[in-house]
Amino acid sequence: MVVLILEKVPRSLRGELTRWFLELDTGVFVGRVSATVRDLLWEKVVEKAGEGRCAMAWRTNNEQGFSLRLHGYQDRILRNFDGIMLVAVRNAEAVRKAEKLKRLARRAQRELDNQSLD
Amino acid sequence: MPPVPSARNLKELPKFRDGLSYLYVEHAFIEQEAQGIGIYDQEGLTLVPVAALGVLFLGPGTRITHAAIRALAGNGCTVAWVGEGFARFYAQGLGDTRSSRRLQIQAKAWADPALHLKVVFRLYQRRFQEPLPPDLTLEQVRGLEGVRVRAAYAHWSRETGVPWQGRSYDRGNWAASDPVNRALSAGAAYLYGLAHAAIVSSGFSPALGFIHTGKLLSFVYDVADLYKTEVLVPAAFLTVAESDLEVERRVRQKLRDQILGSRLLERVVEDLLWLFSGLGLPEEEAEEDDPTRPGGLWDLEGEVEGGVAYGGPDPGEGP
Repeated sequence: MVVLILEKVPRSLRGELTRWFLELDTGVFVGRVSATVRDLLWEKVVEKAGEGRCAMAWRTNNEQGFSLRLHGYQDRILRNFDGIMLVAVRNAEAVRKAEKLKRLARRAQRELDNQSLD
Repeated sequence: MPPVPSARNLKELPKFRDGLSYLYVEHAFIEQEAQGIGIYDQEGLTLVPVAALGVLFLGPGTRITHAAIRALAGNGCTVAWVGEGFARFYAQGLGDTRSSRRLQIQAKAWADPALHLKVVFRLYQRRFQEPLPPDLTLEQVRGLEGVRVRAAYAHWSRETGVPWQGRSYDRGNWAASDPVNRALSAGAAYLYGLAHAAIVSSGFSPALGFIHTGKLLSFVYDVADLYKTEVLVPAAFLTVAESDLEVERRVRQKLRDQILGSRLLERVVEDLLWLFSGLGLPEEEAEEDDPTRPGGLWDLEGEVEGGVAYGGPDPGEGP
């Protein structure tokens, strides 16, 4: 089983995907294709998406039970936690906290360096 | 107050079989986000679905809020802090709707020498492929177990080409240990965390161990040892076979693969229930109609109703 979600992509691309998938809602495709077809379709989707955004999820034999792909997202990335894929969002609060973490890490490093000098 | 009729809800759904084993996080803030937790780090905000999670491991540089701990505890997730040398401690919280029935069975088995020995033999038997002869003494079984463990290390050393000079526990100098021992110790910390989460979520005590005794985590060691040679030893040797670098990090992925391949999450709860079944202890499986009902009060003549203020002419709700 494969789920494909497309936003702001050319109409012709969505039309083409209906050869393999059911369009459940605008830009939301559900179907069952082989791994080879799935990977080839992803290449096609990425190639033709232009400025659009693409997400894919499919069933696979890992601990989560599925795998994910993202393309074209400016504010979202996939992250691998030792085999578990989670989605990171880069919003204003996240950026602020990232800065704070950097300051904390620098301070901890300075304290460590000071200890080493003794 | 009439008892609320029981209804099936999400808390009843099997947690361990369908969930994720563990998640390791370092250098991050962890806060509650919506009904789960959010990890804030250099990559942004990463949301974690906690209902599916067995153990959250917090590595160096992590900070976690009260609200996040409450969200994790409410979903039965164990939190474990792991340090640089894989020193560790655990936190778990459970709602007041959980029954202590299984823990009481465990305590009775622990306290009765004949039942204690029976559970010990079951713990050993579970590790062997073939049934053990019933007339073996405990000393003989321990000897067979020692042979089995050494054979497992030798097997995976041959299989992977990673040299094996025996288990070393140099706690004082982590980096000086050889890579496969570091991988074994790191992986053991994660396996213990997982065993701890399974024990607590099944309603047992981590302290009342049968082979291991005298520690607050004795039963954790008992349960982890059921799977160590099957899951941890291959994960450690396969990790080091690829490279000597960063074995503590890479063993996490290999261990997860071994856990999935061996169906450990499904088996650990089944094994826990099997350990204490058929011991001749009362095992009434009657489900509580109302899990929010106050627990009973102990009495010589048998349990009396809880939540009642005794000694007054008008019994009402008590403390």
